[in-house]
Amino acid sequence: MKTIQEIQAGIVEDFSALTDWMDKYEYLIELGKGMNLIAENEKTEENLIPGCQSRVWLSCREEGGRLHFAADSDAIITRGIISLLLQVYDGQAPADILAADDGFIDKIGLRENLSPTRANGLLSMISTIKAYARRYAEMPGQARHDVSPVTPGPDPGSLEDAVVLALRQVYDPEIPVNIYDLGLIYDVHVDADGQVFIKMTLTAPNCPIADEVVAQTREAVADVPGVKDVQVDLVFEPEWTTDRMSEEAKLELGML
Amino acid sequence: MDARQHFPALEREVYGKPLVYFDNAATSQRPRSVLELQQKLSVEACGNIHRALHRLAADATEAYEAGREAARAFIGAPARENLILTSGTTAAINLVASCFCQKFVGSGDQVVVSEAEHHSNIVPWQLACERAGARIAVLPVDEDGELSPEGLEAMLRDAGGRIKLVAVAHISNVLGIINPVKEIVTVAHRYGVPVLVDGAQGILHERVDVQALDCDFYVFSGHKIYAPTGIGVLYGKRELLEAMPPYMGGGEMIETVSFEKTSFAPLPLKFEAGTPNFVAGACLKPALELAGEMMQDAELQNNQEAMKNFLQEELSRIEGLRLYGTPADPARKVPLLSFSVEGAHAADLAQILDKMGMAVRSGQLCAEPLLRRYGQTAILRASLAPYNTLGECEIFIAALCRAIKMLR
Repeated sequence: MKTIQEIQAGIVEDFSALTDWMDKYEYLIELGKGMNLIAENEKTEENLIPGCQSRVWLSCREEGGRLHFAADSDAIITRGIISLLLQVYDGQAPADILAADDGFIDKIGLRENLSPTRANGLLSMISTIKAYARRYAEMPGQARHDVSPVTPGPDPGSLEDAVVLALRQVYDPEIPVNIYDLGLIYDVHVDADGQVFIKMTLTAPNCPIADEVVAQTREAVADVPGVKDVQVDLVFEPEWTTDRMSEEAKLELGML
Repeated sequence: MDARQHFPALEREVYGKPLVYFDNAATSQRPRSVLELQQKLSVEACGNIHRALHRLAADATEAYEAGREAARAFIGAPARENLILTSGTTAAINLVASCFCQKFVGSGDQVVVSEAEHHSNIVPWQLACERAGARIAVLPVDEDGELSPEGLEAMLRDAGGRIKLVAVAHISNVLGIINPVKEIVTVAHRYGVPVLVDGAQGILHERVDVQALDCDFYVFSGHKIYAPTGIGVLYGKRELLEAMPPYMGGGEMIETVSFEKTSFAPLPLKFEAGTPNFVAGACLKPALELAGEMMQDAELQNNQEAMKNFLQEELSRIEGLRLYGTPADPARKVPLLSFSVEGAHAADLAQILDKMGMAVRSGQLCAEPLLRRYGQTAILRASLAPYNTLGECEIFIAALCRAIKMLR
């Protein structure tokens, strides 16, 4: 396998062949499209790198004394930049990653050609990679697959499940099916800091007990451990139709 | 009139391409008259205002007060006492949030902000409410980005007197919609609730008359309307400003000081502790004079409409592009267009457009709650000023299409 220096030299050479910055972007975009992506279930808050305008996730696992990285971003140029970093650092030993010089980034003009916010994001990615390397270098032999340099927050995924469970306990008083399976909940968004945003509708805009159902929904969700605040948005666009009901709900109401 | 000749920055090139500056909602460019006054005062009148008896200080004071007078005239405020000069919109809102809430907001009370506010019109209220044991209530926007005065009325009715103030943008920095601020003020006043209008974006696009609008506070930044950074305006109704306690303590805001008790200077100096940015303050005069001329120029106004219509039409033709802020009445939209494009991240687009000479804004636009409402983490914004041209709009659309093609 090539050393970090050899790979870096290769990248510098590739970039020097591209004179125009539009060509360099095209190249980064191509790299981004072909990158080794992180698994969807690893796109967690704790794998999110702070300081990037676009969201960037990076995970790391160790195998036989070498570190393997996977990453993704919702922006393609960012993905291309990470792809460059992974070309250099993926499959290398922690000590080599720590010792590596990042001069190639300046040699290809990446830093000076990124906006300062993006350049900060780039530095943040490198420091995350190095932080992983430092962790593994400090605990040799310990095959930890989930070492994370980012302080883990509450897992919004599991909190969201708990919120949905709570929503399933709320009923429209006239229909024996809970509001979630009725399809009245249009959107549930759970923040990293326990803020919950719910967009919901009712079966009819002139529903006489609208306030009551909304209040019940808010209370049910507020009671979920880990939820700090609940915001319920009552909307009537798009209009609710029976098509939004779950299979179970339709069965329950004898519609199937 | 030829507006561009006043703005030397518009002549520059970036990466060998002519600059297309479409980030005016972030900051506008400065005209020659402002740059010249800045230079002149820095050389000829660098004396601290309102204090010393020497000539330099007198000239500086006169220039600074002329800036205040220009701002007063520009928004139709009744008197000098209504105009507090701050470092910008954010500072002005923080001042009101802090001092108004200290005096008028207590435990269990609420301050209403809209869902479309800039962080600067959310966070100061959160901080002040937290100190007072109060909370923020949110006036939502609909899918098109419109605020409903009826919705506000319902909130005021249901709150049973606990709502103490309404803070709302004249024009949202994301949606580019001229909000129904007059109606909002009328509704709020019916319940005896004062209204702060955040004019950071409104000041450039709309002729403001604070007395006709009858708002209780109107705030804006100089740098978004051709003045330098570091100066902003807080207009307030006199009885409210009189009733509010001082904000920062320090020089020039006092009447007499002893270690036991200090009495404060009359308005407006009561709220202007410390040495202000007097050069920038003085520059409000040439900046607002030019802004006034540009607003009255029919040709420039027609050009603004033409640019807006052209961009809206061309953008709506791009597959997978979603525009935010689409009012039922198209006359209530200003040439400030925010959008997302499927399969092309805003940060990527902004980066590529930059290399083609175009300055646009990408990201959350300091309005995270509004973006969340639309399920976005980053969007792109093109915001125009009267000195932009239809030719620039054509270049922008071609560049945008090329960038999208590269990314998809």
